Amino acid sequence: MNRLIISILGAALLGGCADRPGPIADDIMAPMGEPVPYATAEQEATFVRGQAVAARRFSRADGLGPAFNVTFCTSCHERPTLGGSAGSYRNFFIAARRTEDGAFQPAMSSGAAGGVIRLYEYGDDADAKPYFDPADDIVARRNPIPFFGVGLMAEIPEEEILKRADPDDRDNDGISDRPNYDQGFVGRFGRKSQTVSIEGFIRGPLFNHLGITTDPLTDEEKAALPIDSSGGGTETAGFGFHLIPRAHAQVAAPASPLTDDDGVADPELSNPDLFDLVSMAMLMAAPQVEELTDRSRAGLRHFDAVGCGDCHTPRLKGPRGNLHIYSDLLLHDMGPELADGLVPGEATGSEFRTQPLWGICAVGPYLHDGRAQTIHEAIAWHGGEGERARDAYLALTVQEQAELEEFLLTLGGRDQYSLGLIPPDEPAPLEGEWGGPLPGTDPDRFEAGRRLFDREFGPADGAGGPRLNGDSCRACHFEPVFGGAGPRGVNVMRHGILTDAGEFAVPAVGTILHRTTALIGAAPRAQPEATIFEHRQTPHLFGLGLIEGIDAAAILAAADPDDLDGDGISGKPSWTDGGRLGRFGWKAQVPSIDEFVRDAVTAELGMTLPWVEGMTFGRVQDNDDVSDPELTLDDADLLGDFLRTLAPPPRTGGDDPELEAAGEALFADVGCASCHTPSLPGADGPVPLYSDLLLHEVLPEGALGIEDASAEMREFRTPPLWGVAMTAPYLHSGEADTLEQAILLHAGEATAVITAFTALDADEQAALLAFVGSL
Amino acid sequence: MIRTIAIVASLAIAGCGPTWTEAFDGASHGALSGVWGSGPDDVFIVGGTFEQAEIVHFDGTTWTDMEAPDVPLLAWAYGWGPDQVLSVGVDGAAAWYDGSSWEAIDTPTDEDLWGVFGFAPDDAWAVGGDANDIGSEPVILHWDGDAFEEVVIDPAEMPRTPASLFKVWGIGDTLFALGQSGQILQYDGSDWRDSPAGAGADQDFVSLWGTSEDNIVAVGGRGNARIGQWDGAAWETHQPSALGGLNAVSMAAPDAALVGGINGYVGVFDVATGEVELDEVLEGGDVHAIWNDGEGRFYAVGGRFNEPLSGLAWVRKGAL
Repeated sequence: MNRLIISILGAALLGGCADRPGPIADDIMAPMGEPVPYATAEQEATFVRGQAVAARRFSRADGLGPAFNVTFCTSCHERPTLGGSAGSYRNFFIAARRTEDGAFQPAMSSGAAGGVIRLYEYGDDADAKPYFDPADDIVARRNPIPFFGVGLMAEIPEEEILKRADPDDRDNDGISDRPNYDQGFVGRFGRKSQTVSIEGFIRGPLFNHLGITTDPLTDEEKAALPIDSSGGGTETAGFGFHLIPRAHAQVAAPASPLTDDDGVADPELSNPDLFDLVSMAMLMAAPQVEELTDRSRAGLRHFDAVGCGDCHTPRLKGPRGNLHIYSDLLLHDMGPELADGLVPGEATGSEFRTQPLWGICAVGPYLHDGRAQTIHEAIAWHGGEGERARDAYLALTVQEQAELEEFLLTLGGRDQYSLGLIPPDEPAPLEGEWGGPLPGTDPDRFEAGRRLFDREFGPADGAGGPRLNGDSCRACHFEPVFGGAGPRGVNVMRHGILTDAGEFAVPAVGTILHRTTALIGAAPRAQPEATIFEHRQTPHLFGLGLIEGIDAAAILAAADPDDLDGDGISGKPSWTDGGRLGRFGWKAQVPSIDEFVRDAVTAELGMTLPWVEGMTFGRVQDNDDVSDPELTLDDADLLGDFLRTLAPPPRTGGDDPELEAAGEALFADVGCASCHTPSLPGADGPVPLYSDLLLHEVLPEGALGIEDASAEMREFRTPPLWGVAMTAPYLHSGEADTLEQAILLHAGEATAVITAFTALDADEQAALLAFVGSL
Repeated sequence: MIRTIAIVASLAIAGCGPTWTEAFDGASHGALSGVWGSGPDDVFIVGGTFEQAEIVHFDGTTWTDMEAPDVPLLAWAYGWGPDQVLSVGVDGAAAWYDGSSWEAIDTPTDEDLWGVFGFAPDDAWAVGGDANDIGSEPVILHWDGDAFEEVVIDPAEMPRTPASLFKVWGIGDTLFALGQSGQILQYDGSDWRDSPAGAGADQDFVSLWGTSEDNIVAVGGRGNARIGQWDGAAWETHQPSALGGLNAVSMAAPDAALVGGINGYVGVFDVATGEVELDEVLEGGDVHAIWNDGEGRFYAVGGRFNEPLSGLAWVRKGAL
């Protein structure tokens, strides 16, 4: 009998008093990001250690790369908290091609990474941007997937999944219900259920996205995991002819060590750390459901009546009892509009796993590629086997649709949801704290600005139309707190063309090579003629208001563009449109905070703003379907005021004042202070930023880079040093892990200073570094 | 015990079905990777650790550890008689057995060599490469009975851009090498040419065997199995459902192949239907190689290639 009819009859038989479809296992639910209640004390300790590994920022010295997308696990698993999903700025691409004889071949991206296209690379022999072969014409976008409850999903017996399988649609309900397989086991993880092992589901992305190599866990370690993955048990599972006895399918982790050639010994993550990471994932609790109300109960009835539950199976039974997963973990053909062409395991290009709905409230955006900003949009995108349920949903009244959505919101995470990553009830930092306001700042406006800074925008808001690097300001500015710097995983990729005449030319899309786009089925690609690629590390924003208040005359007083004083240091002002002095950005290409906001909103978020007389940054019109302007002037002003009132970073030193004092003297003696001017006069007194805000040629002779405003290829603004200890990596390229590396990578005008620094003895160098680190 | 249960079950079903017995305890021999014999009473199993090769010999009655040359793990062996056996292994290792002792042989490569085969002791081929070094090219060496010489392959003949080949095997005038990303090459007598394996060949091929020039079976797959069939003119590659990657294949008759793969899986591939039926799950790790002695016995070897390396060695008696 048709499942839809059964569902409708079932709902009818309940007489309009629908309740949860069956009890839920005890001790499996908790707020998102917390361990399962049944975890032992030892497992809880492992969970905490695993969280630390997930949040660890991997440096190049740790083995990051050589090619990578992000620098830590929770880059992509952050929403609403550790272990979750991420906004559209963390979307990534998987690419492939077909051979002439039709075989699917994943793309290479500075090596084999399962077809994952990597955004960044460091290394003398590599472009900053890994090559993306135009022949790889199958391009699929992926939004990160949440980990909540994955251990419970791993425990589900294969029979529980397979009993719903109906690959040939023998029940004639128009729904195929196909299992996917991984190493002969029923897959359950990934957008296409292509993976069965949590260890594999972690080791793969660690390598593909971070370039971090691992060895497989040993049998002893596998046996000690919260879910015994050693394969030494006797439970029988499997399918058809391939009945295989085993503890359960977690044994099916990739057995090979992973290696790379970044000069760091493999494995780059130790087995104990990997054990903690895998354990943490296995211990992630299922989202805590809410009690049903009359409204959400009505929504449940609609959910059943329209047939959502045909695939979003409300309960799967695990060894601990029923799981409120709202997924059958099977593959379904979702139609041509959602098809992505990827065929992992036995999935076709248009098949996707039914996404579990527990916690759906807080893990948007939705669908495999994050194209849906809301639950309503996600449902409306359903096609293929989901088309009938979609049509039934769209035929509901607006109120009924809202009730259905209200029911979905009860499946966990509502009280953790916010428009960004700031938890709903988190207070703003106080004066004197990192990320806190300047004295005298209106706290309400500061907090409103902070929330807007954190807010994630989506395609419906106009973000990413057509390209974006971030979906919020916070997306790139969060180290060590919101408003801060960005790790390498949010570097902005700049590119350019070197003409036959040896001159710099701007590509048609501009010098920014964006990381992603709101356009479906497309990925930003470099213009073929582009040969210059340059990382741009995201600098922190602390103290911008004080920098804006510095008198231009004080900056210009130190300028010596023709090196008339013969000290080998030029100090060139950056003149921007309208003859205004630039002071913000790596090339000092932006003259004011308001324009800095406008530039970022347009160039990084892909949004438009109203025209403002006298301001030269910010696009007022774009070609997406959202009416312009996409951000109001009030909001732009609010962001500007937030940055204007964001206090400078607190000094971090003080442990050894004598050492720091000695270092300060050396800082001046060796010549660092020639450009890193300790302070400039501000509106309310000296501004200790350690920068002259002038351009200096600091790349080696012959180096190629991006030209911007009046800055030549090798020229950069002296970056302020305040807050430097907490805002690694360093240099415009983010190339340096440490302050010492950053110093040693200076060239050009700084050559004499570097020579002087290297002539210092080890104690003196340590003193100088301690001083810089105290800023 | 799983193995006992499986054996009892299979006996109960078939009455006089096949039996699997452990050839010897392979746990202390490193990983066992290849098996070949000149006959039922002359079988060589090669393997070892990444530091030192190990070789075990069966004389029809007893398994004996042979004195292995000072080379790392030997991956594969092939021979033309009891005193003409060639073996290759990791880091470009190779060794020759003259009936009394094994001697290391120089090769012109440091890359891993995963397969060796020859029509005659002075006309053999070894293949390999660094599968992790994407972008590098695979290695094919020719052995003239005296020395190995590297053979250049036209990159245009490798549209799947493999970094490594894993096995080479032939019969009559037909010779194939296969490897990463589903690449198959055929030797035309002077050059190696692309032999398209079809749309199903989207994962690595690892091994091949056949009974005639128009009946060859290639197996592979990493996450999921791939089985290619050569009918004398073209390859067709199957993607069997619910079956993990395969590494090993051996045929004693035209209608069926014994295939082995990850997690100790061994199955029988029906050449006519393209179906695979579970035969046994062997304890001790992955199955890496299967060879049959022509008299009804199939030898399956393998193990674990992660530290600490360990081996498995089983013998099957009975018809497929």
